[in-house]
Amino acid sequence: MDLTSAMTIAAAGMKVQSARLRVTAENLANAESTALAPGGEPFRRKTISFTERRDRASGLELVDVARYGLDRGEFELRYQPGHPAADADGYVKFPNVNPLIELTDMREAQRSYEANLNALQLARQMIGRTLDLLR
Amino acid sequence: MTVTSLSHALSAYGAALRRAQAGPPTGAEAPSSFAGLLRAETEATRASLQASEAKAVEALTGKASLQEVVEAVTEAELSLQKMTAVRDRVISAYQEIMRMPI
Repeated sequence: MDLTSAMTIAAAGMKVQSARLRVTAENLANAESTALAPGGEPFRRKTISFTERRDRASGLELVDVARYGLDRGEFELRYQPGHPAADADGYVKFPNVNPLIELTDMREAQRSYEANLNALQLARQMIGRTLDLLR
Repeated sequence: MTVTSLSHALSAYGAALRRAQAGPPTGAEAPSSFAGLLRAETEATRASLQASEAKAVEALTGKASLQEVVEAVTEAELSLQKMTAVRDRVISAYQEIMRMPI
């Protein structure tokens, strides 16, 4: 039935958006995670990408997480001579996480989640209204 | 005259009964009677209720996501609603027939 399929697809969309929010939360939480010793690498920003997936059992086109990747961007250098991970010149590598980008990403995940939630709610409502015809 | 019209009426009733027993001609495995249809529907509802319960248990143990649980429970709820709506309708039709003056 098309309406129940719509519910399944919307639920898959909600699932990947929550995975995206998880990645964003990881990035935000680790925005200040530096290396422990000089020469080490700090936390590298994580990315997530989505792809369509055909569910073999039902034949539906669902969405799924394609892969979790790493942002290849440059690390930020801050002058902090007292830091345990500071190099000879007193600079420390900080993660390439930009809180502004993460906040935007988070807002986008929220909006997409809500869109899928609305689709699910609408499909459910339509089934319920149709059933009400029998009563 | 009256005897022949009565036998005509009887054969017409018989033909209607045979048609009703044969059921809809579409589909080889389609349920042949209303009872069969109802049984199949009940079976499907039971299966979806069981699936939703299993999902809820999986979610409690951390194996299923919240979205999957919502999806399964909603589906079970809707199929139960469908089931009860059809049942109420059947019972009201039955009562309608029983109230019919003969």
